[in-house]
Amino acid sequence: MNEVFSSPFFGITLSILAYELGILIERKTKLAFANPLLIAIILCVAVIELAHIPLESYNVGGNLISVFLGPATAVIAISIYSQFSKLKKYFLPIFLGTLVGSLVSVGSAYLLCRVFGLDDVLTRSMMVKSVSTPFAVAISKSIGGLPAVSVAAVVLTGILGAVFAPLLIRLFGIKNPIEAGVAIGTSSHAVGTSKAIVIGETEGAMSGIALALAGILTVIITLFVKV
Amino acid sequence: MKLMLQIGVVFGVCLIGQTVSVFSPIAVPGSVISMVLLFLLLFFRVLKVDHIRQKADFLLKNMAFFFIPAGVGILANFAAVRDHILPLLAVVVLTTILTFGATAFTVRTVIAVQGKLGGGKAGSGEESHE
Repeated sequence: MNEVFSSPFFGITLSILAYELGILIERKTKLAFANPLLIAIILCVAVIELAHIPLESYNVGGNLISVFLGPATAVIAISIYSQFSKLKKYFLPIFLGTLVGSLVSVGSAYLLCRVFGLDDVLTRSMMVKSVSTPFAVAISKSIGGLPAVSVAAVVLTGILGAVFAPLLIRLFGIKNPIEAGVAIGTSSHAVGTSKAIVIGETEGAMSGIALALAGILTVIITLFVKV
Repeated sequence: MKLMLQIGVVFGVCLIGQTVSVFSPIAVPGSVISMVLLFLLLFFRVLKVDHIRQKADFLLKNMAFFFIPAGVGILANFAAVRDHILPLLAVVVLTTILTFGATAFTVRTVIAVQGKLGGGKAGSGEESHE
């Protein structure tokens, strides 16, 4: 049976089925946390765990899916290009919003880790949690964190952002799509951006800009951090 | 443009982005460099949006799907966080809300200040609802 599970078709088919089921559940229930990505991840994990399928087998197909993350992030450029007049007009608020957001992310992660009594290595690992995985892994390594912890925190942050973005938009009384997009991209990187794109084109473009800016700014901010 | 060519263009840009990323002195992921590169190609009219429209639509509409394996991959990292799962979860949830709020508040404030300085033209809310 293991030969079947380690075929690339297993991981791909399981992911597609789980995702389509997630979309169906989202449509039927219309609940905020019935997010297709979250449902798909839970379903895939459940199948893998219950059937005792090694994660490596799932990843044979899974890695092929992950290949598309780079191109998917790259083509956000099209949304940014078509929203360029807004980017130019609102560059200062976008830039400052991302800067303050990144500072708050790094700073609040540091303070909260201290409050909860987590050690230095975990604290360093958590400070990069709001930027997308490649940024986070590189920074985590260079400041002496555990990349595995960083990756887990980053992915979870992204899923949280994608699931709760509509709720947070209402909670903070956000009416301007630029504000919403920058907040999503800064707080929950590319995974949150996948939701921002669904909410609207301006939100998607702004989230895309913010995820890139937040990543670069966090690299710079963490250069000055000593934990 | 034919779909195969569109895929070729997007993947080609990603290959260049990846290459630049390898030689970059600071840690910038290939995907972010590819995004900037693709933007520049569009901006300087080397490429037209129509050249990659179908491929881009496919990628953007299904973006969440491509994150499924990354999410499932948390399983591999679970051992690293298991001992401190509750405080770590609390940090993730709280910092995400704080970051979201602080970013939104800053953008709102700066747009409002710009609006006042610019005679109430920019950011007076005319583009708020679309």
